[in-house]
Amino acid sequence: MSTDPMTFRKPRFWDRSETPLAAILFLVLVVFNAILNPARFSPANWPAVLGLAAPMILATMATTLPFLAGRGSIDVSVGPLMGLINVILVKVMIGDFGFTSPWIIVPAALLLGLASGALNGLLAAILRIQPIVATLATYLIYSGLALSILPAPSGTVPGWLSALAGPASFLPVGAVIVAWLLFRRLPFYELLMAVGSDDRAAFTAGVNVPAVRFFSYVFSGLIAAVAALALTALIGSGDPNIGPGYTLIAIAAAALGGVSLAGGVGGLTAAFIGAADIFLLQNVLTSFNVSTFMLQAAYGTVLVLAVCLNSEKLKARFQTWKASR
Amino acid sequence: MKTALFSNRALIAFIGVVIVFLLGTVLIPGFSSMFSVRAMLILASLLAIAALGQTLVMILGGIDLSIPFVIGFANVVFASLYGSGMPALPAFLIVIACAAVIGSVSGALSAGLSIHPLIVTLGVGTVVQAAVQLWTRGLPTGSAPPFVNDFVSLGGTIGPLPFPWLIPFTVALTLGCVFVLHRTVYGRRLYALGSNLKAAELALVRPVAMWTTTFALSAVFAALAGILLVGFTGSSSATVGTPYLFQTVSAVVIGGTALIGGRGGFVGTVAGAIVLVELRTLLIGLGLSEALVQSALGLLILLLVAAYGRDQHIRNLI
Amino acid sequence: MPDDTILLRYDNLVLAPGKTPLSGAIRAGEITGVAGLEGHGQEQFLLALAGFGRYREGKITVVTAERGPLGYRDHYEAARHGVVYLPRDRRATGIFPVLSVLDNFAIPSMPRFSLAGILNRKRLKDELASYTDFLSIRYPSADAPISALSGGNQQKVLLARLLALKPRVMLLNDPTRGVDLNTRLKFYEAFRKLAAENGIALVILSSEIEEILELCDTVSIFRDFECNTVLDRASMSMDRVMAAMFGQEGVPA
Repeated sequence: MSTDPMTFRKPRFWDRSETPLAAILFLVLVVFNAILNPARFSPANWPAVLGLAAPMILATMATTLPFLAGRGSIDVSVGPLMGLINVILVKVMIGDFGFTSPWIIVPAALLLGLASGALNGLLAAILRIQPIVATLATYLIYSGLALSILPAPSGTVPGWLSALAGPASFLPVGAVIVAWLLFRRLPFYELLMAVGSDDRAAFTAGVNVPAVRFFSYVFSGLIAAVAALALTALIGSGDPNIGPGYTLIAIAAAALGGVSLAGGVGGLTAAFIGAADIFLLQNVLTSFNVSTFMLQAAYGTVLVLAVCLNSEKLKARFQTWKASR
Repeated sequence: MKTALFSNRALIAFIGVVIVFLLGTVLIPGFSSMFSVRAMLILASLLAIAALGQTLVMILGGIDLSIPFVIGFANVVFASLYGSGMPALPAFLIVIACAAVIGSVSGALSAGLSIHPLIVTLGVGTVVQAAVQLWTRGLPTGSAPPFVNDFVSLGGTIGPLPFPWLIPFTVALTLGCVFVLHRTVYGRRLYALGSNLKAAELALVRPVAMWTTTFALSAVFAALAGILLVGFTGSSSATVGTPYLFQTVSAVVIGGTALIGGRGGFVGTVAGAIVLVELRTLLIGLGLSEALVQSALGLLILLLVAAYGRDQHIRNLI
Repeated sequence: MPDDTILLRYDNLVLAPGKTPLSGAIRAGEITGVAGLEGHGQEQFLLALAGFGRYREGKITVVTAERGPLGYRDHYEAARHGVVYLPRDRRATGIFPVLSVLDNFAIPSMPRFSLAGILNRKRLKDELASYTDFLSIRYPSADAPISALSGGNQQKVLLARLLALKPRVMLLNDPTRGVDLNTRLKFYEAFRKLAAENGIALVILSSEIEEILELCDTVSIFRDFECNTVLDRASMSMDRVMAAMFGQEGVPA
C-alpha cells in the first residue's frame, strides 16, 4: 500500500492489529473451505462463488463508508435500498417498460443509489437528524415501497445481468475495488478519514465537515446500487423480502473486518475481508450440514468474540497485565 | 429550560396522540369505539413495556438491538416451561433472571471493552435466538397460564372497568419509571453518564456498573413483554419480537429521547408508543397496505425528529 | 496554618521510565503549589495522587484516623478516603451540560443524601445552599441548567461538588483557568479558609506563577518528569520559580 505522507495522526488500519485478525480468519477459512469442499472451491467455480458472495461484500462496503465519517454516522438503509432497487429494476424497468439493455439498467440503478445516498446525506449530514434515526426512517420507507411495488417475488432478468453472478461476477466487485483504489488517491479520502478521526480538529482546520459526511452517504448509496445489481443477478428475479436482511449482517461484517463504528478507522479492504469471513464461515458450517440455527449461533459467537478481541481497551489491559508480571 | 425542553418533547408527542385520535375519529367509523380504543391501548402498552429498557439505554447514549431476540426468548421459554408443568411463578423468575444475565453480558462487554453496543447487542441477541431455536428445534410449544391471558386480554375487565389489568399496570410502571429517573441516585447518574461520560467517571459514577445494570433492565422489560405476548397471542414463537426492533427505537425517538444521550424520559416513550399504534390503526383503516403503512411511519419519524431532535452543528461542539 | 499532621504520603513515585523517583508528604492545612512548563509531568503527578493509576512504580498512602495508612487503587477509593480531584477542562470533563445545577453539584455525593437509592432532595438543596454563600455562587434556581451559568459560577459549582464529598485532600488542576478576576479572588479566599479553618490539604496545579506566589505555602516545580526543586514560602519568588521551570536552578528537594 502507498506510503504517502499523512497529515493526520490516526494510524491507518493496516498499522493496527484488527484487520490482521480478520485476515488470519480469512486464510484459515479459505483453507478449511478448500479441504471440506474441494469441488465447490475449485478455480473453475471461483466466479460462481464470488457471485454468491458479491451482494454481501458490496453491502458491507456500502455500510462501511458512513462509518468512516464518524460521530455516529451510519447507514442502516443499505439493505432495503438494495431490495427497492432490485424490485424497481425487475418489476418496473424490465417488466413494465421492457428495457433490457445494460446501458439503461445499470445507469438507472446507479441513479437510484445516488438519489438515495443524497437523501440520506441530506437528512443525516445537512439537516443533522441523528444518522441512525434518519436512515432507520429511510429503511422503513424503502422496505415499505419495495413491498408495495412488488408484493411477492416474481419476474425475470436478461441474460447479461444473470452473467454478473456467473462468468462475469468479478465485474461488480471489481468495479467498486478499482473505484476505491482511485478514490484513495483523492484528497477527499484524507478529508474523510480526518473527519472520522477528529471532526472538531478537521472543522477547525477548515474542512467542510457536513459536506464530507454528505458525500460519504452518497458514495454509500452508489455502492449499494452496485450491490443491488449483484443481488438481482444472483436471484434472477425481483424479491421485496430479501434486501432488508443485508443491513444487520453488513454492519456485523464491517465490525468484524475492523471498521470502527466511531469513525476514522478502516476501509473497503477491511470491509471486504470482514464480509468474506462471514460468507466463508457460513460455507464451512453448511458443509457440516448443521442446522440454520447452529449457523446463526456460530455467526453470533464469532461476531462477539471478534469484536471483543479487536477491542483496543482489551489490548491495553492485556499490556498492563503483561507489564505487571 | 431542561425540564421545559424535556416536557415539551413529551408534550408534543401527547399532542400527536390527541391529533391522530381526532383524525381517526373523523375519518374512520368505529375508530373511537370502546373495542378499538381498548385494543390500541393494549398494543401500545405492550410496546411501551418493551421500549422501557430501550429508553433507559438511549438516555445512556446506547442502543439495544437485542430486545426482539430477548422478547422471543422469553416468549418461547416461558411458554415451554409452563407448558411442561412448571408452576407459573418459578417459570417467570427463571426467564427474568436469564434475561437479566443476557442484558448484563451485553452491557458489561460494551462498556468494559468500549465496543459499540449496536454490535454487541446484535451478536448476543443472535446467539440467544439461535440457542432458543436449538432448544425447541424450531418448534416451540406450550401456552400461557390463564391469568396472563386475562391480564392482557382484549376482552378483559377489572370489575366494572372496561379494560384488562395491563392498562393500570403500564400506568403504574410509567409512574414508577418517572420516580426512578428523577428521584433516585441511579436515575440522576444515568442522565449524567449519558450527558458526559468522561465527567461522570470523574464524578464517581461507575460506567461499567451503570451500563451493566441498564442493559440488564432493558432485557428484563423485554422479557416481561415477551411473557405478556404469550398471553396476548395464545401461542409462542421465537420471532414474535421481530417488529419490536424498530418499533421500540421509533417509540423512544418520537417520545423525544435523543440518541446522543442525557435527555428524554419514559413518559414521552409511552406517548410515542400510543402514536405509533394509533397511526397504524388509522392508516390501515384508510385502506393502506401494511407495506405503505411502514413507509408512512418512516416519513412520520423523519418529520418529528427533524422538528425537535436535531443534532448540534459541528461549529457548536468546539 | 500548616500543622504537622500528614494526610497523604507518596513514596518512590516514578512519573516516566528512567526518571528520579519522588517521595514526600501532604500535610493538613497546607496549600501546596505544583508548577512546571506544560507537559513536564506535574499533571501526571496530580493524577497519580488522585488515584488514576498512571504512575509506573511507587506507593501512595492516605493516612486515616481509624485505620492508619491505606493505599488506594483508583479514584473511587481515593474519594472514599477523602482525596478528591478537580479536573482541568471544565467543559469536557467537568460539567453535565444538560443537567441542572443541583444535579451537577450532587452527582458524586448522592449516596450520602439518599436512603436505599432514593434521594432526599430537601437535604441536597440545603447542602447546596450551604456552599452557595461560602463561595457566593450565583444561579437562578437549583433546577436551572448549569449551562445558564457563567464560567466562573460553573467552576464554583464544581468546587462545591468536591466539598460535598467532605474531602481531606483536594487536588485542583488549574482551578482558576478561564475565570474572571473577581471570581478568582473569591477562590483564593475560599482556599485559604478551607486550609486554615477546616484543615484541608490543597494541592493546586497552576499555569500562573502569580497565583502560586499568592496562595501557596510550598511549591514543587516539575521539569522533565522529575521534581528537583521545592521552594517554601520564604524562598519563593517569580525569578526562582521561573528558573526552576527552565531547569536553571538545582536546589535539592
